[in-house]
Amino acid sequence: MNNQEVTTDMTQKPVKGRSLWSDGIRRLRKRKFAMVCLVIVLIYFALAGAIYIDEVLQDKFGEKGYEGISLFQWNESIGPSYQKPWLDYEWTPEDSEMSQEGWTFFGTDFLGRSTWRRTLYGAKTSLTVALCASIISLLIGVPLGAIAGYFRGWVDDVIVWFYTTLGTIPYILLLMAFAVVLKDATLFGHEIKGATSVYLAMGLTSWVGICRLIRGEIIKRKESEYVLAARALGCSNGRIIFKHLLPNVFHIIIINFSLRFVGFIHAEVILSFLGLGETDRPSWGGMIDAARTELARGVWWEMTAATVAIFFISLALNIFGDALRDCLDPKLRTD
Amino acid sequence: MTAYIIRRLLYMIPIVFGVLLVTFCLFTLVGGDISVQIAGKNADAETIAEIRHEYGFDKPLFVGYEPLVDDQWKEPTDPNVLASYIESPDGDDTIILNDYQRIVAIENAKRQWLGGLFKQRLSDGRILDAWSMLDFNSQFLSHFKKAVTFNFGRDRERQKISEKLLQGVGPSLALTVPMFIGSLIISISLSLIVAFIRGSVGDFVIVVVCVILMSIPYLSYIIFGQLFFAYELDWFPIYYDPSRPMAVSVVLPILIGIIAGLGVGVRFYRTIMLDEIRSDYVRTAFAKGLTTPKVLFKHVLKNAMIPIVTNVVLSLPRLVLGSLLLERFFGIPGLGYLMIEAINSRDFFVLNAMTFMMALLIVIFTLVADICYGWVDPRVKFE
Amino acid sequence: MLKSENNTGRLFDTMKQGVKQIGWLAVCLCGIALSMSGCSKTDTGDNTDEMILRRRMPTKLQTLDAGNMRGVYSMEVGGQIYETLYTYHLLKRPYEITPLLAEALPHVSADNLTYTIRIKQGVRFQNDPCFEGGQGRELTADDFVYALKRVANIKYLNQNWSGLKDKIVGLDDFREYTKQFKKELDVDYSREVEGLKALDDYTLRIKLIQPWPQLVESVLTDILSSPVPHEAVEHYGFDIIRHPVGTGPYRLKTWRRGCYIELVRNENWRNELYPAEGQPGDEAAGLLDDAGSPVPFADRIIWRVILEDQPAWMLFMRGELDATGIPKDNFGEAISQQNMDLTDEMRARGIVLKSFDDPSVFWIGFNMADPVLGKNKPLRKALSRTIDRERFIDLFFNGRGHVAHGFVAPGLDSYDLEIARFGYSKYDLQEARELMVEAEAINDGPIGPLKLGMPGTDTFSKQYGQFVQRQFEKVGVMLEVDYMDWPTYMAELNKGQLQLFCSGVSAGAPDAIDFLGMFATKYFSPGGNKFYYSNPEFDELFDKAEVMLTSPERMELYRKLERMVMEDYPAIFTTHRVSYVLHHSWYKNYKPHVFSHRTSKYRKVDVQERNGYKQRLKELKMQEKMAK
Repeated sequence: MNNQEVTTDMTQKPVKGRSLWSDGIRRLRKRKFAMVCLVIVLIYFALAGAIYIDEVLQDKFGEKGYEGISLFQWNESIGPSYQKPWLDYEWTPEDSEMSQEGWTFFGTDFLGRSTWRRTLYGAKTSLTVALCASIISLLIGVPLGAIAGYFRGWVDDVIVWFYTTLGTIPYILLLMAFAVVLKDATLFGHEIKGATSVYLAMGLTSWVGICRLIRGEIIKRKESEYVLAARALGCSNGRIIFKHLLPNVFHIIIINFSLRFVGFIHAEVILSFLGLGETDRPSWGGMIDAARTELARGVWWEMTAATVAIFFISLALNIFGDALRDCLDPKLRTD
Repeated sequence: MTAYIIRRLLYMIPIVFGVLLVTFCLFTLVGGDISVQIAGKNADAETIAEIRHEYGFDKPLFVGYEPLVDDQWKEPTDPNVLASYIESPDGDDTIILNDYQRIVAIENAKRQWLGGLFKQRLSDGRILDAWSMLDFNSQFLSHFKKAVTFNFGRDRERQKISEKLLQGVGPSLALTVPMFIGSLIISISLSLIVAFIRGSVGDFVIVVVCVILMSIPYLSYIIFGQLFFAYELDWFPIYYDPSRPMAVSVVLPILIGIIAGLGVGVRFYRTIMLDEIRSDYVRTAFAKGLTTPKVLFKHVLKNAMIPIVTNVVLSLPRLVLGSLLLERFFGIPGLGYLMIEAINSRDFFVLNAMTFMMALLIVIFTLVADICYGWVDPRVKFE
Repeated sequence: MLKSENNTGRLFDTMKQGVKQIGWLAVCLCGIALSMSGCSKTDTGDNTDEMILRRRMPTKLQTLDAGNMRGVYSMEVGGQIYETLYTYHLLKRPYEITPLLAEALPHVSADNLTYTIRIKQGVRFQNDPCFEGGQGRELTADDFVYALKRVANIKYLNQNWSGLKDKIVGLDDFREYTKQFKKELDVDYSREVEGLKALDDYTLRIKLIQPWPQLVESVLTDILSSPVPHEAVEHYGFDIIRHPVGTGPYRLKTWRRGCYIELVRNENWRNELYPAEGQPGDEAAGLLDDAGSPVPFADRIIWRVILEDQPAWMLFMRGELDATGIPKDNFGEAISQQNMDLTDEMRARGIVLKSFDDPSVFWIGFNMADPVLGKNKPLRKALSRTIDRERFIDLFFNGRGHVAHGFVAPGLDSYDLEIARFGYSKYDLQEARELMVEAEAINDGPIGPLKLGMPGTDTFSKQYGQFVQRQFEKVGVMLEVDYMDWPTYMAELNKGQLQLFCSGVSAGAPDAIDFLGMFATKYFSPGGNKFYYSNPEFDELFDKAEVMLTSPERMELYRKLERMVMEDYPAIFTTHRVSYVLHHSWYKNYKPHVFSHRTSKYRKVDVQERNGYKQRLKELKMQEKMAK
């Protein structure tokens, strides 16, 4: 197998002393398209971050007169119900007698709230859900996989049994079952609701793949020289796993993370349709679900806006994830 | 080989047990008691208690004895039953009791649980061994029993669950099998083409199109497809129509399913094909002067069959489950539809049965896939 | 490695062949899959000359067992299969009770406690394998006794018992007696119940504990009292839910859950005629064209289970359903906002609009047992003042509703036309803000976030929740909305765990006593009183009203009771719904009826007109294109 030739530039001679990461990032930089995608992803995250910060500030300084950025005020009526996009209009707000003029970029919903603002806000909801779900699944999958692969024996047996069991149940059934029982459940004295139950359900059910992957990698690497050396130096098992082995499989985790992220964004849509999603705040899934019936009265903009929002981030993440995979680990194949 | 299969079959036991444990935790421990929901809008407490008993929500979770409905307990009015007991058990005359006497006897026995005395004397001197009448039973036990006997009982509307599941299998398969085969054929053909023209503009375009297809939410495909192709253009039925053959109603959902799933499929098979095409044997074959079609079909496809067959066999059990969203939108009465219904009405009995049956299917097909793997690839040895 | 580009053509040829072979295999496999589906051979007779009523079932039907039926939709099907002693007249308004299985109206004793009812002779059950020889036997008075006793049987676990509790002499004892058995069928139904007796084969006698003026309206017309042969119960056991055996004009042919339901004519149906008299105007409307002809008209009734509104609407527009409601989002398409009448496109298709008051009321209820809400009347009143009901009706029902100034619905006997004058349902933010000051004083501080339980996770519920949230916010009350699926909501509501809840009822009979009962202490949840509203004065008067016979005094008392409740603001009453029904011109003899579900036998379809609809639709579309 001589894979390097195909994916990297043939004329490039490998330079000594370059680490996997710097090498990978160098290759990644060369892919202009992937970098564009990375920028798109970063924009989404920056947006979500800005909304988050804005909310925190409003919480803290709301009484002192901080009103927040108007673009993030998704709950404010800015026009009549179901105003068509890209048009000037005149309307009378509910509390006042005066009519006002306005213009929307992406139309309004039934309460006259801006679809554009709601779509922006949806970035925060959906990205939070996807991020938390990814982190939960990594936090469960990676240590379990590492421990199983490193210790083998009965620990391995138990962990493998556990994840085989979970893997045996069809994912969609498992996800829905978790979402149903977690919804409005009380766990350790905290009531779980809205987005929390969504990402908990997704995180708790989706760690099997990464666990299996990490376990395999650790088994492959645990007899390598640097591990043997570390052991000879008297390192504890925990130190070997977390200081020596895991950093060496970190790129696998990153790649897995980027590709999985997309899956979670799409899963949120489906859960919303099933009535198991976030309900209080706008989310893309919620918007698509709402638009299902509104489409009949010709309200196409809500669904379009949310679909486009999802489309760009998944496109960007997919392409970037692929590029990342090719650059960091040409041998790795993910499903 | 036989030993291998037997070993694998034995290994299924802990897995199945694990599945039972997971479903129990999900649907009984966390999902819990749905008697109030079954009782309806203007229920009275008595009926609720009765339902709890009927469905076994009042049983102990893991170990214990079948309890009584609270309201069933009454001070004994029947002169035949005395609330007294004797200390040494003697004689083994058994008597036939009606249900009411039985209840009283058991309740008395429970009261004397701590003293360890379970025998009672009746007024006519006979002895009643209440101990033997306590049913050893718990929610987990009945959960377990249901699964191993495949007797899942009745759902909350008292319909037989097994019947319900069986009815759903057909429509689900009618939807998923053509969908699966269609997307399999298209993905494999496309991936072969892509593998053949790799690196060219065509390859790039197809890959980008695949990613684009993958990036649109599934729900948007369905909503748009139903509105545009079924309603506006009137090419397909809008909704499952019992008066026409099933085939007519499933065409549009099948097409939507194929298009929505194409991106993932092509990318998956492309990776496999690329892996093969880069192998030494392909280079050798080309060097021998074989034509491209020959290399592709005789060598590449044949070798790629190994991962393809494994993947196909592993996907088969999932076909039974149908497609949740498509079935719901187009009203196809399959298992996916049933699942949504069960979720919406919190019918954990149905969900439980479904999860277990599906898990069982998947376990079996995983075994089949492994055997197939050995069958198509002689290098694999069964150890 | 990449030199064979010129071979591409041949590559595709070979591929084509390969694909062809795989294609055949695929076709075979698909064929097998399709034939397994088993759903392919049902025939709903599109384009036949058979008269078929085509309907939509918007929910999953749970049971077809008469004793355990609740909910409008199961009754819509069950009402064609089962019959009761009495029913409402098809055409006469105000609604009038007429005998169905009974010979005549009941003979009531002077103390209003004993009802003696003669039953029609020669009525036979439908043919069914549960009978000897498969032939339906004759209906006797014992079947009614059996049906009611069965509802009382606690092991039957049915939902309908609460309606019969403490009413009939000896029936509660019978329920007590059934407790000792393990299974439903172990119970000995021959055990006598003093208040429920068949004097002979055709005479039924019911004795009441205290006068119950609503006996006929709420029980003897309700499907729970329809006769069910004990043979069927014994023969089918639990499976009786899908083997209904009744005396009605239709019998069940197929029921595929979540798919469709088909009823066909009952061969044993007695000869019954279309009513000969109606209201003024009925004749002009063509409702008396069939007067005196034998019913039923239609050969079959088919319900297709369609959960979503959208596909149902599309199917109606294509002529595949006879009638439909108007989904909120299609309202603009169907009804022009100027005169609230059909749009021209609808008229061109021959679609007819019928609108009527639904005797229903919807509210956002307060849990009076809640420490914050229960003792704080100004708060409840303030919250009630924040809801702009007219805007609400416009937004959510396209104006199809009346503001609920009281809770007794229009269409009921004691509906007070003048109740708006008390201003219980005013929208007045100014007053609300003033009241909030008072409320905060009672609460010793600002009102914390409240929690509303919303049944449903669909778009409508979410929008409803957001609307209420926004209105409450205007007086500074934060509201959390908990969107729940129906079963969870039901459970939480019955346990009294919801602080605020959205709910509503629709009347089953013209008497408002059930509406008033929602506020009586003795019906605390899980009974009808979900508000945990308790007012001793109200209870006392309510007990009096319950046993009163229809009279002007009673009407006054009802109204007084209603106002008493309204004064206390146990809920924000929002709307009385107005139903808009569209039907195609081929659908005949349709007069809206809010209390009876036994009307399908009178419906008629002009088969020729229906079969021509597709053609007409095509022409219309062509015309539209030409116009463009």
